[in-house]
Amino acid sequence: MSSTPQLLFKNRKPGRTAFLKEYCKTGGYSALVKALKTMSPAEIVQLVKSSGLRGRGGAGFSTGLKWSFFPSDKPAPKYLVCNCDEMEPGTYKDGELLAADPHQLVEGMIISAYALNVDEGYIFIRYAYEGQFKKLQKAVAEAKKAGYLGKNILGSGFDFELHLHGSAGRYILGEETALLNGLEGKRPNPRLKPPFPAERGLFGRPTTVNNVETLANIPHIINGGSEWFKGLARNPEGAGTKLFGLSGHLNVTECFELPVGIPLSEVVEVYGGGVWKKRKFKACLPGGASTPYLIAEHMDIPLDFDTLAAAGSRFGTAGVTVFDDKTCMVAVTLNLLQFFARESCGWCTPCRDGLPLVCWLLEKIEKGQGTMGDLEMLKEQYRHICGRSFCALAEGAMGPLDGLMRLFEQEVIDHIEKGHCPF
Amino acid sequence: MPTLTIDNQIITVAEGASVLDAAVALGIVVPHFCYHHTLGAIGACRQCAVTILEGSQKGLKMSCLIAVEDGMVVSTCEEESVAFRGQVSEWLMTNHPHDCPVCDEGGECQLQEMTIGAGHGIRRYRGNKRTYTNQDLGPFITQEMNRCIQCYRCVRTYKDYCGGEDFGVMGSQQRVFFGRFKDGPLESDFSGNLIDFCPTGVFTDRANRFRTRSWDLQQAPSICPHCSLGCSTFPGGRYQELQRVRSGGNRLTNDSFICDRARFGSDWNNHPKRPREARISGEKVEFSYALELLEERLEKLVEEYGGEALRLLGSPRASFEANLLLKNLAEKYGAPAPYYDAHPRRAFAARMAASIPSGQLASLKQLRDSDLILMVGVDPLAEAPVLALALRQAARAGTRIVALDPRPLELPCDFEHHPLTQESLLRGLSAPEENELLESLRQQLEASQRPVLVGGGELLGGEGLRLLLHFSESCCGSHDCLIFPVLHGPNSFGGGILGATGDSNRNLIEDLENGNVRALICVETDPAIEHSEPGRMQLALSRLEFLAVFDHLPTNTVATADIFLPTRTIYECAGTFINNEGRMQAFDPVLEPGIPIVVTGSGGHPPRQFETTPPGSAPRSAVHLLQWLLKDRNDLFGLRRQIVKELPCLRDLDRLEAGDNGRRIADCGDKLEESRTEIWAQEGELQVLPITARYGSDLYSRWSQSLTSRFEEPSVWIHPVEAAERGFVNGQKVVLRTVVGHFHLPLVFKAKMARGRLIVPCLPGTPLEVFTPGGLSLPCKIYSEVDNA
Repeated sequence: MSSTPQLLFKNRKPGRTAFLKEYCKTGGYSALVKALKTMSPAEIVQLVKSSGLRGRGGAGFSTGLKWSFFPSDKPAPKYLVCNCDEMEPGTYKDGELLAADPHQLVEGMIISAYALNVDEGYIFIRYAYEGQFKKLQKAVAEAKKAGYLGKNILGSGFDFELHLHGSAGRYILGEETALLNGLEGKRPNPRLKPPFPAERGLFGRPTTVNNVETLANIPHIINGGSEWFKGLARNPEGAGTKLFGLSGHLNVTECFELPVGIPLSEVVEVYGGGVWKKRKFKACLPGGASTPYLIAEHMDIPLDFDTLAAAGSRFGTAGVTVFDDKTCMVAVTLNLLQFFARESCGWCTPCRDGLPLVCWLLEKIEKGQGTMGDLEMLKEQYRHICGRSFCALAEGAMGPLDGLMRLFEQEVIDHIEKGHCPF
Repeated sequence: MPTLTIDNQIITVAEGASVLDAAVALGIVVPHFCYHHTLGAIGACRQCAVTILEGSQKGLKMSCLIAVEDGMVVSTCEEESVAFRGQVSEWLMTNHPHDCPVCDEGGECQLQEMTIGAGHGIRRYRGNKRTYTNQDLGPFITQEMNRCIQCYRCVRTYKDYCGGEDFGVMGSQQRVFFGRFKDGPLESDFSGNLIDFCPTGVFTDRANRFRTRSWDLQQAPSICPHCSLGCSTFPGGRYQELQRVRSGGNRLTNDSFICDRARFGSDWNNHPKRPREARISGEKVEFSYALELLEERLEKLVEEYGGEALRLLGSPRASFEANLLLKNLAEKYGAPAPYYDAHPRRAFAARMAASIPSGQLASLKQLRDSDLILMVGVDPLAEAPVLALALRQAARAGTRIVALDPRPLELPCDFEHHPLTQESLLRGLSAPEENELLESLRQQLEASQRPVLVGGGELLGGEGLRLLLHFSESCCGSHDCLIFPVLHGPNSFGGGILGATGDSNRNLIEDLENGNVRALICVETDPAIEHSEPGRMQLALSRLEFLAVFDHLPTNTVATADIFLPTRTIYECAGTFINNEGRMQAFDPVLEPGIPIVVTGSGGHPPRQFETTPPGSAPRSAVHLLQWLLKDRNDLFGLRRQIVKELPCLRDLDRLEAGDNGRRIADCGDKLEESRTEIWAQEGELQVLPITARYGSDLYSRWSQSLTSRFEEPSVWIHPVEAAERGFVNGQKVVLRTVVGHFHLPLVFKAKMARGRLIVPCLPGTPLEVFTPGGLSLPCKIYSEVDNA
């Protein structure tokens, strides 16, 4: 169990936070020194690309590839924005990371900014992460004092300013373009793409937006190299470790740093201590509320982006929420859909008006008032919402509905036929 | 230009156009809500889905967001896009109330049309509908939020396009709310555009609520008569009552927007005191009798005293045709050429504007596309509101706007303001090379690609416009520096054209005062209000042997006329206005004249009165009256053809149609070599400048009862430093002494106005109505009320 190398959680100790002194003791800021003194920005981008690091915010896009599209030769200002608006139900890994070791993110951002030739950065933090906000404030102040932030960092001639910005607290702010609007002080509706943020982002300038965990991995890749990083994963296609936030009907619901490619069975049985109350595993959300369910037959699939996509789900944020066999999946889906309908920003019709209609149908079925026609209508709603909304929010909301229709159709029919919830 | 196929029809459209634009051009109905050709596409409503069969992106796409490509093949009939559009419609309708029978939008509702267009008929949702508490948005607009389908057009209109700051989006999810932070009248001068842009009945015309159905309205394309911009409008009326004015769609001028003065200031047409009967010495008479008597008296007068004894006064309110016929009438009786504006300084400004070569005049469209704008002596929100909207669009595209003006200007966009006095502006323009600011602006104008100079005829006068024209010629770099003159009335420019061809160097009031004039005919003008010195004019008018007035407003001069003939308004006859950029635009009649029919609700029988004609239907158009006197039997088209023969610069006049984009005049001939000496006050002397108020200063808004809620309270404005030097405090009651009288007014501090000057807005129905804007500032003295006592 402790055989997994700990990168992101290496300084994590219960109840305390590693600040500058402790962070430096375990090699903190050595990657920054190495990057600034011995590597060119292009070399760093290439290294990250070859390391196989994929975005940890949920979409899983290659970080190096994303960076290679960034117009780093355009004149300043350009921005690096860290998305720490972690609000996906079942996901709390970034919060854990920042509470344990905030300097990792700061160092990661400085190196990334150097690689992208960006001189200003923002960390956009979730409303509820008040404690983490204060810890980051302290970390940024320490880094500034130590000369890691500001003008002419470590004599390299590279300048970087880092600002913190507290979110107003809506799920939509995790969508990168809505986040940029929020950061500009505007209403956080997503923006039309193209232009992509790399071309016209924050305040109309080239911007890249990365997740906390993604950026925190950068110093480790600089120090360890791309081959080492790749080798951390269990499966040959994977790379690195991943923070898994366990929740739901497990005996242990904590956050663990585990290798990418670890099978679901190991996560549930070894780290989660098995399903609670000696019940059986029924299903889980593998990567947050917007990922379609996995069931017992998926237990041996290595948990990674491509493998889960092949199984009809998504790796997402690796926030694993487990449901035991006494759980009504219609009720679970309704609960999740109510969250998404509530968090819709109200911009586009499929999301604003489509999701409440889905909720209404699920509620009817859950109450035992549904008909087979309602089931057909649900399927129709899924077809019309998927891929046709303005941003990915409604698409994500369709994840659990997709899982319900595909894996638990009989359970839905039971509700309709029995005229009540069978659980 | 790419060529594409939509539903087996081939079309070639401009580069950058969307698939939706192309479909609209082909006449294919693709339902849509958030897209509007002026506001653009935002991809929010998802209603306009089509299937792209061939193209770089295939499958179901939002047609407003996909740019056309050469060789693209699009289908609007594929099953998946038809089904999706139906579903979007069902979603939009889940919370929309079934209140079409009592909704004012019913019958002209885009939601009704598009719901049918999308094929949605039966709503499957059976749950409760979302409801809102509506806000009181003031006297003009009613809000009914339950009907909202969240297309975001209102906020894009009010806030983004018009620059209003007190309206926005609130809330999220299915509870998005469009309105003000709290109840209260909408503050923007363009709030009424919400009515036109809302695709359903959320924002409707409050004054006109529950009064009419769109299909019951008589409607015709028209031109707004409130200022010199000539915005295209689409008024509608019923039962002889003008009920509403909506925006037209001239993309070269106002695009799809009008100001609130244009929209809500039209009930002067229905004014209860509107004179509708012919009168002789105040007594009602038969129309034909009055007309014959007028002819008889004119002939007698000319016979006895010669044509010199007769004067004719046209107006910037009257159509171009009427003003031209007045010229013919003067020739018939051997009278001197008519005046075309009772206000000599305004008339000179109009002549000067009309003498600018046509190619050097800018349109509002060119102004929106300009890259540097210098405004000299213009207050757009007061003198030409839609100009402020055009400035905002230029500013949104990054254009710098610089304003030189003594008034505390406000604009719905960022601009640089140099508060110079009227006199220092005029002095600066007379020797711009010696003025540091003007010289640096000249260089910047010269260096820009599409510069436009906006010049206010009211503040600068003809002399100032002449100087500005010289200045613009010195600013021509590789490109011409275009001029956008702002004048007083809808046909000021037309009067300028006519004035430039006659003997214009005369002053009506001096002619009247020297006693040689015995008769005056006023066509749709009241010199006792519109002349720069109303009191003096009133006295001069009383010395006339006889005064004939043709008008439709209840002015004092109408009441005192010896012979009065009621005329039709622009809503009751056809004609042409020439706007401030020399664009001829035609208007069509909307209604027949008559006293508005009142619908009685008490079940009583209407009064038993038997007449052969409807009550109040006597008025005839000024053109008709003048043609009768001239024995000219041409119809309007014949008249226009005759005008084209006489004035070749108006060669397209006979090709105009109401509702088209109008046509620019060609150059009218030699440059006007007219110059007038004005005595400009010295800096340091305290002067008061009467200015145009946003509401009430023009004659039509003065008689629009619906606009009175927007009239400001009378006050006198001062720069705070100036006030401090004299020991005054903000809000203090003062006495302002001028040659036209003394006034007790509150003193209001305006930090952004010029120093050394006081400003009074000219407001009807208040003591300040004796001031007329458009002149030079006047010497004055100011005391605190206590000192004065």
